[in-house]
Amino acid sequence: MKRILFSMMFTVLFLAVPVAFGKTGSQIRVVATTRVLSSLISDIAGDLIDIYTIAPPKRDVHFVQPTPKDVLMTKKADVFIMTGGELEIWAGPLLDAAGNLALKENKKRVFDVSRGIEFLEIPTVLTRAEGDIHAFGNPHYWTDPRNVRIMIDNMAEQFGELYPEHAQMFRQNAGKLKTRLDEKMKLWEKRLMPWRGAGIVTYHKSWSYFAEWFGFNVIAEIEPKPGIPPGSKYLGELMKQIKENNVRVIIREPFQDRSAPSRIAQETGGEVLTLGQFPGAVSEAADYIGMMDHNVEMLAKAFETLGQQNNKRMK
Amino acid sequence: MRILFIIFLSLFSALALSSSGFANEMTLESFQQEMSRLQNLVVSLQSTLKDLTKTVEGQNEIIHRQSVRINALEGDKSFPAGSMSAPAGAPKLAGISQGFNPDIGLVASIEAKSTQSPEDGEGNDTIALKEAELSISQYVDPFSRLDSVIAFNDNLEEQNVDIEELYYTRWGLPLGVTAQIGKFRPKIGKANLLHSHQLDTAGYPLVIRDFFGEEGLASSGARLQTIIPNPWDVPFEVSAEVLRGNNGASFSGISRRPIFDTHLKTFINISENSQLELGGTVLFGDENPAVVTFEDDALGTEIPEAGQNKYGIKVFGADATFYWFLPESKVLKLQNEIYFQNRATHTRFDNQNPWGLYALLDFRFSKRWSVGLRYDHLQPLSIVGGSTEGVSPYLTFWQSEFADFRLQYSYTKPADDGTEPNHEVFLKANVLIGAHKHPVQ
Repeated sequence: MKRILFSMMFTVLFLAVPVAFGKTGSQIRVVATTRVLSSLISDIAGDLIDIYTIAPPKRDVHFVQPTPKDVLMTKKADVFIMTGGELEIWAGPLLDAAGNLALKENKKRVFDVSRGIEFLEIPTVLTRAEGDIHAFGNPHYWTDPRNVRIMIDNMAEQFGELYPEHAQMFRQNAGKLKTRLDEKMKLWEKRLMPWRGAGIVTYHKSWSYFAEWFGFNVIAEIEPKPGIPPGSKYLGELMKQIKENNVRVIIREPFQDRSAPSRIAQETGGEVLTLGQFPGAVSEAADYIGMMDHNVEMLAKAFETLGQQNNKRMK
Repeated sequence: MRILFIIFLSLFSALALSSSGFANEMTLESFQQEMSRLQNLVVSLQSTLKDLTKTVEGQNEIIHRQSVRINALEGDKSFPAGSMSAPAGAPKLAGISQGFNPDIGLVASIEAKSTQSPEDGEGNDTIALKEAELSISQYVDPFSRLDSVIAFNDNLEEQNVDIEELYYTRWGLPLGVTAQIGKFRPKIGKANLLHSHQLDTAGYPLVIRDFFGEEGLASSGARLQTIIPNPWDVPFEVSAEVLRGNNGASFSGISRRPIFDTHLKTFINISENSQLELGGTVLFGDENPAVVTFEDDALGTEIPEAGQNKYGIKVFGADATFYWFLPESKVLKLQNEIYFQNRATHTRFDNQNPWGLYALLDFRFSKRWSVGLRYDHLQPLSIVGGSTEGVSPYLTFWQSEFADFRLQYSYTKPADDGTEPNHEVFLKANVLIGAHKHPVQ
């Protein structure tokens, strides 16, 4: 028995020893839950950080199942950044599995970037009868670039507090990023201006912030309630509503079902757009600005095409 | 002179009159201008007032949202530790003191079953609440948490309450080790770690049921585990467990020695959309002490008989799980486990080298539906030379993330040649309410 006990303990200890020597290099190891966060923090902190992202951009961020690799990287992390607002319900179990005491003891190192963001659609009553709702409100706030300015400031400030020797650089880079973003926002707004106030339909309630920023009118979602797939009766009612409101643009994300939106588009003469909420969700979107470029351009082209079709019909 | 005076007076009057008319004209014009200016001012003030009203309304809305959020944050006791779970209930009820309440969830598993086997203790055509799992969990302090799963069973003969799991977890021990003590499901392969409602099929694979019990192995004990950082960032998770003896079919008996279990797992990202997880398990234990005494009925004396050598039962297992993530959230999973035993004696079971495996193919082809098939092969503990074969196709309807319904058919050919094959049909519902989170596997 002693021999077995000894050999088991020896195995654990032998394999655990490298933990003590696991910290190599001078880069700050950052684990970000999504590609939006990685994109922004990479621009702010540059080569100072070594970034690892948990959620694959083409999958549903709500239902990520952390892998042993995610656990390992979280165990090694100096800072863990998350979107917050219950977007990443898996973040708690992941942090528990990693057991990284440096993260657990210093809450500044587990960093929720949503501070100061005004959440939309905060439920007054928490009940699953309303579907997969979030207690803090709709967590997809980064689709409004005005909120991204707040996220950038939060990241620069928090990293500045954690690493004061680089605080000035973080602030400068954040400033540059915000300038780039401001310039892009003017272009995006100009590009979409002709269709301000237009009605759209989205698959999930994940474009509310985008719509509010730009002034689109989300008339309905394909999901009857958040996270609940549509039934045929609901789809029938939805199509009637779409026709009544003359809505032509239907937005889905790559991980969402294509058949229901396609059926609706076919019946109502609309067009299904596959837009991304994370860099990498669509191949054209390498970073946050690239992703927004792609989304804005797809929408503008769709409205142009549908407008031309309308004109032809009217002639 | 008088004429001059009259002329002067006339001129003066005329001038006065004309001057008075001009003045009147001037007053009216300026009055009109003033009116116009005032009208503009009123319009401007109305517009400013409208803007101010809008701003105040906006601010009130923000204050309302922020106060709701503050209430919700006060209720979310796990927020600082990174867990974003909010307990079910209105945020307005989640005050500071209630925030310390643990997360509570309940899972109900109801199963209707139609079988042919006369040996089925639950009857051939039944419906039963198989299990109600009450989970209560919370952080103890910044260094640890306590998790529990209490299972209520509505068995035919008697209703039971079992502590399925209740364990304390402490992070951040030297060398990055995490320790757990209490009762838990040991790290044996893949399926044994899961609670029954988490399984893809209606029950556990045959090899798990035969080697570790109908519900798999759950035992009191202690666990040390860590995931080893390395320069290549390849995850190697290693765990070592000491479990109470006399647990699980393979180790049951009158042993007074514990079971030792070690598990090693690694993980490979084959591509952006495919993953492979590989694991190995070794368990050592026994079922009897070296010498067992029996009371001779005729003589009334204790007769010693050879029992089992220390740690005479060795179980070796391997598991491989492949995931392929397809567009539109479709997932293909192939999960396999194989176990082999080396038993020094056959005091309780005849077979000294039982072994078994299962292969499970599961395809989630939409958000609502998944389909799968499990194949089982088993040379059981109790029969030498025969093998049990099983095939179980199933279809699952996912009503939501919190309710699923499964239809499964199982064909089982018993190891004993004299017994007829069994055909079973299951209809199982798993329904979940409250806060319910599983640890990362």
